[in-house]
Amino acid sequence: MNPILEVNGLQKDFPAFSLQDVSFSLLEGCITGFIGVNGAGKTTTIKTILGLVLKDAGSIKLWGKEMDRNERELKNHIGIVFDEGYFYEDMSIREMKNVIAPSYSNWDEAVFDNNLKRFQLQPRQKISTLSKGMRMKYGIALALSHHADLLIMDEPTSGLDPLVRSELMDILLEFMQEKGKGVFFSTHITSDLDKIADVLILIDKGRIVLNEGKDVLLDKHGLVKGDQRLLDQQTRKMFLTLHETEYGFEGVTDKKSEVRRYMKGVLIERPTIENIMLAYVGGE
Amino acid sequence: MNIIISNVSDQPLYQQIKEQIKAAILHAELKGGDLLPSIRALANDLHVSVLTTKRVYDELESEGFIITRAGKGTFVAPENLELLRESKRHLVEVKLTEAWETARSLGISKSELYAMMDLLFEEDEN
Amino acid sequence: MLFNLVKKDFILAKKYWLLMLAFAIGAPIYVETQTHTMSGGLLGFLVTVLLSEYMIFNSVSMAEDKYKGSALLSATPYTRKTLIKAKYLFILGIFVGCYILYTITAFLLPSYMVTLNLLSLGISFLIVAIYYGFIVPLQYRFGYEKVRYISFFAIFIVPFLFPYIWIWFQSRNIDWQTIFLFPSVIQELLLFLLALLIGLISMLVTIRIYSQKDL
Repeated sequence: MNPILEVNGLQKDFPAFSLQDVSFSLLEGCITGFIGVNGAGKTTTIKTILGLVLKDAGSIKLWGKEMDRNERELKNHIGIVFDEGYFYEDMSIREMKNVIAPSYSNWDEAVFDNNLKRFQLQPRQKISTLSKGMRMKYGIALALSHHADLLIMDEPTSGLDPLVRSELMDILLEFMQEKGKGVFFSTHITSDLDKIADVLILIDKGRIVLNEGKDVLLDKHGLVKGDQRLLDQQTRKMFLTLHETEYGFEGVTDKKSEVRRYMKGVLIERPTIENIMLAYVGGE
Repeated sequence: MNIIISNVSDQPLYQQIKEQIKAAILHAELKGGDLLPSIRALANDLHVSVLTTKRVYDELESEGFIITRAGKGTFVAPENLELLRESKRHLVEVKLTEAWETARSLGISKSELYAMMDLLFEEDEN
Repeated sequence: MLFNLVKKDFILAKKYWLLMLAFAIGAPIYVETQTHTMSGGLLGFLVTVLLSEYMIFNSVSMAEDKYKGSALLSATPYTRKTLIKAKYLFILGIFVGCYILYTITAFLLPSYMVTLNLLSLGISFLIVAIYYGFIVPLQYRFGYEKVRYISFFAIFIVPFLFPYIWIWFQSRNIDWQTIFLFPSVIQELLLFLLALLIGLISMLVTIRIYSQKDL
């Protein structure tokens, strides 16, 4: 599996926030979930990759080529969906498409028409009248109509109902059926990723905290539940987070075998992505 | 072929999947030349990462159970009697080692263990 | 590509089309009948073109500011440079549109209006170029919200200031010699050249400003 996107040593300083040495790569054939709480730096990272926010340092390569020097060629192969949409709301679906489409050298009108039909969007509909879910679908229709190889989505699911979200997941899996594609998908709703992500990257306060295959992460960590009396100075150290009540404790560990050895009788379950995320960003 | 993933198992996901595909081959549920799903399709169906299914296929291939033909897909390897016998023996050996270790730790002698095995065969024959 | 972006700006202003059309036709008729075409059409055309440019450009800027569409466009293969070029072309487009409308009206109503001569067209073009030559870079640098007041005052001051500048130039007989050595057609063409030069420099400045901005 070759890397599609390689981000190296990305640095960006704002007065109140900064990206610090952000490095990661996306593998072809993988859906990569970019997770973190609101304000962790997800949108800034994505905007920096796309050149909307100017980086102070670092390099961004797509398919081995430097973004700075091949911007137009590379963006031709990227599809983008922003949370805010950034559409001219007074325009109709067709008018906005007519603005976007000519920028792509391989725009495919037939694919776009198909997508509109599939999502039940009318070309004459005004964008300002679309619901949040419809708007997201319109964004996807725009992003998938020029045979993009990399789909970058910034919080596409926030504010959507579960049905539309699961539809989106199906669309992404369908997109991935073809060889050589990649999806980079930022979200703070991690349950979307439980089903479809292959790789997870966790960002917190402008730094990358985790970057690993989803199943490896889920295998490595355990959600432990048991009797409080098992907790002492030694055993506490095995946990990333601990939640204690009078009925028992619940904690996330990355030392499963030690927990199994020293804490007899506890229940070790497979954690969710949310459990893991909160275990790493929870502490100060 | 069934693949059932346990969420409370100690085994890593890739191992669970690998063992079950291997078992299906050993029990002839999957036969030589059968086409396997693509790593993406299998990952989608099992709700696991494509990295996991890729690892499963890579390991099964290096052990000789499956082969990937570029552009055509992944297939169960043509029946290799030697490999099958070897794997089946290995499966039993693992269990026997376990039994032997338990016996030794509990002070059960070699002859006692043989006697137990004889008894099992006799019961089966009746 | 460039053309599509210019078209985009015209679509963004489409709410005002009918109004603008009426204004671009009606205003010169009104001004010219009031002034009895004393200025050879200059005043009527200048007022019309300045106000039309102002209203259309402002309504488009307002839409851009509100919807942040340029962020999405910058994420596509459109470059920031192209976006800026399109903006200048749009301003030029409105100017040309106003001129065409004016000429048609003057042709249809010869008793009220006179056709615009090259000098008047050149002066109007130069003034528009100077005005937007300053406003556009300022707007990209400081944002629409802050610059809108400046542009609002400037647009109403220009017509008032214009006669004074004219008188000031005439009263001073400064070194026009070299220019007046050329035949008048060349002098008039120089106005266009100067306007284009101002526009070009302003565009380069704006491209530079915009290339350093976080969207």
